[in-house]
Amino acid sequence: MKAFLVAFAVGVVLAGAAGAQAYHRFWANCNYDAPTFMTTMTRDAAQDYANAARYEGYQWGGGCWNYDDSDSYPYDAPGDPSAHGEGGDCSGLTFKTWRESTDDWRDGRYYWRALRNVHGPYTAGDFRNGLGAPNHVVAKATAGVMDAFASPTHIGMVFARSLWGGDQIVEAKCEACGTNIFYRTYRSDPSYGGVARWGWTG
Amino acid sequence: MRRPGIRSLAGGAAGIVAGVIGGIALTSVSAASGPTAAVPDVDAVHVPPVLTRAGEPVTLRYAIVCAPRDDGEPCDGSGSVFVRRGQSGPFQQLALRRGEDSRDGRYFVDLPREIASWPAGFSYYATLRDGGSGATITVPAGGAAAPQRSVPLRDASEVALGTHPFGRGRAPDERVVAAAWGSEARDAGLLGSRELGFVGPSSFDVAADGSVVVLDQVNARIQHWSRVGVKATTVDVSGGLADFALEPGGAMDVLEPPSRVSPAAVLRSFRSDGTLLWAQRLSDRTWAKLAVGQAGPVVQQQPSEQWLPVAEHGAALGRAAQAGHGRPGQPFANGREVVVERVGSAELRLAELVGNAVVRSWRITSATPLGEVQLAEPRGDHLVVVAKTYSDDRSEYIVLVLARSGVVDSFAVESLEWAESAPLARFRLAGSSLYRLGSTAAGLFVDRFDLEVLR
Repeated sequence: MKAFLVAFAVGVVLAGAAGAQAYHRFWANCNYDAPTFMTTMTRDAAQDYANAARYEGYQWGGGCWNYDDSDSYPYDAPGDPSAHGEGGDCSGLTFKTWRESTDDWRDGRYYWRALRNVHGPYTAGDFRNGLGAPNHVVAKATAGVMDAFASPTHIGMVFARSLWGGDQIVEAKCEACGTNIFYRTYRSDPSYGGVARWGWTG
Repeated sequence: MRRPGIRSLAGGAAGIVAGVIGGIALTSVSAASGPTAAVPDVDAVHVPPVLTRAGEPVTLRYAIVCAPRDDGEPCDGSGSVFVRRGQSGPFQQLALRRGEDSRDGRYFVDLPREIASWPAGFSYYATLRDGGSGATITVPAGGAAAPQRSVPLRDASEVALGTHPFGRGRAPDERVVAAAWGSEARDAGLLGSRELGFVGPSSFDVAADGSVVVLDQVNARIQHWSRVGVKATTVDVSGGLADFALEPGGAMDVLEPPSRVSPAAVLRSFRSDGTLLWAQRLSDRTWAKLAVGQAGPVVQQQPSEQWLPVAEHGAALGRAAQAGHGRPGQPFANGREVVVERVGSAELRLAELVGNAVVRSWRITSATPLGEVQLAEPRGDHLVVVAKTYSDDRSEYIVLVLARSGVVDSFAVESLEWAESAPLARFRLAGSSLYRLGSTAAGLFVDRFDLEVLR
């Protein structure tokens, strides 16, 4: 019995310290299905899609979540793509919401389900520079619903404008922030530029 | 050393297996037990036209936000607006129409001219429905008890700012706080990295004795900076970008953003010794700004776009009670409220209300885009306004001291914001001085600008 108890304790320590089960776990739920090619892409359907990712967490380099209103692994190490936790990062959330292709020369509309694990080829800085066939730079004053503001390190989409001149921004900003809608003043921040997706149909 | 028997070896192996399984189970339970709040089945977006011009046509627009459909198309939504002439009496129901474009809200109704141009304005609320789930939402949540209120800008002072000349910001009268980044007694906490951006103290306020009180949420403390030194009070906060306000009785209010462990925004009120008085979830999804009204803390929230009280006379209000007292303007100690509406990209409408009647109003236009309004507060016969003006690669604050006749003083303030703070927490007005929270790579500072016309 003594040997069992000692070994049991060692086992618990091993399970926690290695973290092997913590890492790679959420992505085990994800899939690599082909996206659905769409002929439509409306701004309010994009609002629906990004809004549903709220509460689902943040994962640096990630792009896979479910709809259980909870970040399954909220304490992953920040900036560690190998954590394989739940949620997108800022550019992954934008890529999926904007229905983009993993080929940066394609400007068609590709609907990725939440559990489809894809981040896309763009960093926040790439979006800021308008890289990729579906993306372009816009004047910040003209950015509207589901256009975005991007800096070299972050991108957030305009969920709505607001009375006091700021914007409600839907974004995946950091591990501790999760994915949610926050009131931000990126529009007037010189480190951010306006970016948008070509091809909205309504 | 004694050679282990077969029973010891078997027991040890079984123990390790059981331990690993138990450890995984424990960790899984721990990881899974996170936030319990749920994204609502239906949400909404609406920007109310709180200040209208004579003869201006009014279209009320709503976005209905629902769970994503598997076919990728938007919600099958519907709804009605309940509207009335003026600010009291029965509402009449108008059905929302579904438009082809959703940029400004797919669901809309054009208000009849007799309502839109009514001398006392109009008031309204909407009920919106997602046909897929059958879920409904009322916007604002207070419904008929606290509807959106729109009032006409009558005899507004017109102010044309022209093109903003960047690079001519006024120097402060005094730097009242200067702190290096760090965690020592006189430091200010900094979080982040060059790759992900930096977050510094997210908000501040000015006490009645003139001391500056900084929310150093990164170091979980509130610092009182006065001429005799710095006193820190430990508080239990999440560390997110929070807004902060001091109440006259000494309570310290911290408005927390949603986070990985608390997906809904929460206002925490602390005693002066840092112990928690109460914590209250907000009525709405999102917040813009915290202030202190006549009876306690008030928060400008979305989607209602109203100022909602979160506590009265030291007692927190539940979500329904908050929603039931929504108002269009920020309340002030003189019993008046100030209504703000940024229209388009370069127009700002402001009005001071007594009850639901406009007593003074201004319409400010600019050739350079106008961003967020940091502050709009009455001081005697004046209204002090701080707004940001920006181009695609520059920004500055403009400070306007307005009288009924127009601008009596104005100057620009350089925007020094190396580290991020709460969105509308950069400026505070205390007496006849304006205080600004700023930062550089070297640290945090608070500057004071004296407004001579208010003395």
